[in-house]
Amino acid sequence: MAQGITQLAPGLISFLKSLKTTPADPSVEHLISLLKRRQIRNSRPCAIATTALMLRVVGEFKGRDAAKLVERIRQVGRRLTAAQPREVVVGNIVRRVLGLVREVLDDNTGDSHTGSDAGHNTPTHHDSMTRPTLSSSISTFSPLRHAAAEPMDASMTSEMSDSSEFNRRPPLLTSHTSYAPTTSAPLVNSLFGLFSQPDDSNASTPTGAASPDGKSAHSLNLERLADLSRSTNIDLKSEVMDGIRELQDELEQSDEQIAGVALEHIHSNEIILTHTASTTVQKFLLSAAKKRKFTVVHAETYPHDNTATHGILLTGRKRETRLDEDEDPWKPLTAAGIPVYVIPDSHVFAIMSRVNKVILATHTVLANGGLVAAAGAHMIAKAAKEHRTPVVVLSGVYKLSPVYPFDIDELIEYGDAGRVVPYEDGEFVDKVDVEHPLYDYVPADLVDLYITNLGGHAPSYLYRIVADHYHTEDITL
Amino acid sequence: MSGPVEGEAAAPPAVTPQAPNDPAAPAKTDPKETKPADDGASKKPSGAELKKLKQLEKQAKRAQAKAIVPPATQQGGPPKENQKQREQKQSQKKDESRPLPIRRRPSQSNAVPQQQAKKESTRGQKNLGLFFGHLYSQPRQHSMVGASKDVHPAVLALGLQYSSYVICGSTARMVAMLLAFKAVIESYQTPVGTSLARHLTNHHLSPQIDYLRSCRPLSISMGNAIRWLKDLIIKIDPSTPEAEAKRDLVEEIDMFIRERVTAAQKLIRDQAATKILPGDVILTYASSSIVEQTLLQAHKAGVPFTVIVVDSKPLFEGKTLARKLANQGITVRYYLITGASHAVKDASKVFLGAHAMMSNGRLYSRVGTALVSMLARSHSLPVLVLCESVKFTEKVALDSIVGNEVAPASEILSEAERASLLPLEPHLPATHPSKNKAEDKHAADDAKSGPLDVIKWVEGSDNLHHLQVLYDVTPAEYINMVITEYGSLPPSSVPVVHRLSTNT
Repeated sequence: MAQGITQLAPGLISFLKSLKTTPADPSVEHLISLLKRRQIRNSRPCAIATTALMLRVVGEFKGRDAAKLVERIRQVGRRLTAAQPREVVVGNIVRRVLGLVREVLDDNTGDSHTGSDAGHNTPTHHDSMTRPTLSSSISTFSPLRHAAAEPMDASMTSEMSDSSEFNRRPPLLTSHTSYAPTTSAPLVNSLFGLFSQPDDSNASTPTGAASPDGKSAHSLNLERLADLSRSTNIDLKSEVMDGIRELQDELEQSDEQIAGVALEHIHSNEIILTHTASTTVQKFLLSAAKKRKFTVVHAETYPHDNTATHGILLTGRKRETRLDEDEDPWKPLTAAGIPVYVIPDSHVFAIMSRVNKVILATHTVLANGGLVAAAGAHMIAKAAKEHRTPVVVLSGVYKLSPVYPFDIDELIEYGDAGRVVPYEDGEFVDKVDVEHPLYDYVPADLVDLYITNLGGHAPSYLYRIVADHYHTEDITL
Repeated sequence: MSGPVEGEAAAPPAVTPQAPNDPAAPAKTDPKETKPADDGASKKPSGAELKKLKQLEKQAKRAQAKAIVPPATQQGGPPKENQKQREQKQSQKKDESRPLPIRRRPSQSNAVPQQQAKKESTRGQKNLGLFFGHLYSQPRQHSMVGASKDVHPAVLALGLQYSSYVICGSTARMVAMLLAFKAVIESYQTPVGTSLARHLTNHHLSPQIDYLRSCRPLSISMGNAIRWLKDLIIKIDPSTPEAEAKRDLVEEIDMFIRERVTAAQKLIRDQAATKILPGDVILTYASSSIVEQTLLQAHKAGVPFTVIVVDSKPLFEGKTLARKLANQGITVRYYLITGASHAVKDASKVFLGAHAMMSNGRLYSRVGTALVSMLARSHSLPVLVLCESVKFTEKVALDSIVGNEVAPASEILSEAERASLLPLEPHLPATHPSKNKAEDKHAADDAKSGPLDVIKWVEGSDNLHHLQVLYDVTPAEYINMVITEYGSLPPSSVPVVHRLSTNT
């Protein structure tokens, strides 16, 4: 029976299968329709699907023009995010791939031009730069941003020529309050060298080589693109594809990497509260269970995720991964000897006085340190705060989004009201407005610690990790 | 004849007033470390033996399960059981201010539930001791099987209505109980050689109460009403003719209901309705009769406002409320508790019903209330509690764990949810004890055995527990106002009002 469903039901598996045989363009359409119909949902499946698609898109890309590749990826990315703006992960992956392309460019041009240090420095420069830029970059589906940034996008994408870039450059520079963002040096240095900076930025070639960030990076990139198209010895495509494969590995391994630090965070006889059905959290707890004895209290997240929650506790599988034939099944926590108490969501406050630690799964982590997680997460985090219980959020870096939550409600998806009150109860459904939010926004101040596959971070530090992973020019797709 | 009767009679009253008598003394005087030992010591002569006895009886009872229970064990059973329960309950309630469960776990509840778990298959109740083990003193009764023969038919029916949540809500339960007691009193005949005042409370009313308690633990309001009623009966002049005494009692009960419930509710809703202003969005949690009346009254008065009902599984009481309000033409939005943080964003006031108001100003109400009021407070919404003074209690509580009511865990999974879990069956771990069983069964009859199997999976897996309680305690700082028939007050005034209402 399960086999039959596997063949029929469209979803991640069917998409990945069809991707092997279908060319890129129809696959894009395929994924868009799957996203729109919500047949692929939740962060991990979306990330996997997007990465696979990106691999395909880059693989089928003809030609050596890096600018065109960037444009192609952007275009696909824009369509995917437009299909399902609330799956922020899709946008994240696209941005990561764009970042890969730029990195490859940086490395190569850096090698050919001014030595290897340009590419090497890139991340650190970005770190210092990104903060101001981030706060001014707006989520891709915010109306504000569409008004402000769409024309720019259009110009940028329609004609990626040197001249247009240079034309745009001066106003952009002046739009910054200071020259600091355009400097190549890290922030600390820039404070010491305030007066030397104008000189640097005025110098033509060194600036380009040494400041690959901010808006000036665009022009730089374009110069490099031009160079690149001339120097044909670099296999841009294969390097980017290697990068995407690394990204796929990262997606696969992030759970294990997060689980690897479990013992640092869970001690014996703790009572840990978690909610919803999250593979990451389950693996984290399982890894701790190998060495330690503790107790898990699991809020079932009714009505959205309760089936998956019960499923994961009974069998170690969610409903959706049930269809997965080759996903490695893992034992449920209970089989590892960990007592698990399933409680309805309403019990969170009552139980919280005995809980030592709250571990939350997440849907998306936002640049300000807040997160979007399954409904109920906010009240759990809030109750934990009231009881001074630490809240730990587990999230792969791929869920980390450069999106800044100006309008939280935009991020919240509403689900099928029939899950709350079945439609058989027609009279009720008719008269009463039944609402079923699927996600909660949890502000950063309710979270004590983020654990990503890179380690543990304070919520206030997240912007930095965002800056490490996304190029500023990609933040608006 | 009257000698032993009196002797026995003297013991339980000390228990029933529940308040300031025995276990309070050790609680106060003992330093913490000697406490468990002392607790045990004070109980050992009676408690431990009774416990064993009770377990034996229960084992016997379980063994014969639904078959006819030998009357011998039954007769002996309930009183002792109940006495014991009362003791336990009492001590629990006394202990509320101290974080006792940890200490209690090894000493007490471990022993009891362990054996129950074995025979009852209610998966590892010993582990439930981690949170609410001290509350698993007796399984809830869902039938009339174990009832003492003294129990009045009206009370029997009422008990079943309690255990199946047909009558739910502390006021409704109290009123229903008093009405049933009226029937009990009317059909009561004082046996020769005793007086009504002495016999009725201990020998006739007590079995009724015990039966009700076995169906579902008594609500605070019921406890208050029982105390009041017993007080009333004991004070009856022995020289009063029986018929007259009974008539007086019935009248007093009617009066009590009228004064403490009907009139009180009217006063409260009159007052609370004035708090609803045009354009308000009133958020309420689950269902409270008094909140419902208030909203309807304001609606009838023509105030334009909307209501958000937040609800939670498994009782879905709010659904009934939402339906009633919507039928009256009020605009209602309905959220489940997971969406509560979205619901409070749109609300302007929060009206809550109460199961009880504790003397330390905390609100003891349907589980989830604390979450809603917490969120409301973080949004700076006024939180108003509507509560008749009959629900005030001198008990105090700091958290929701020491005193609570455990509900059957199988209620967590509704029929539909169980059905949706069925496809997982092939993935149950191979070590799962119920797996083989389930497979055999499925081979035999596929569709039919389905949903119930899921419960067996849960019960069968050693470490998986479903946990469900009915109430939680809302900190006083989340509550802005308590509206009672005595007026609107801050939660800190609860003990004062309680004294007022009990002393008059």
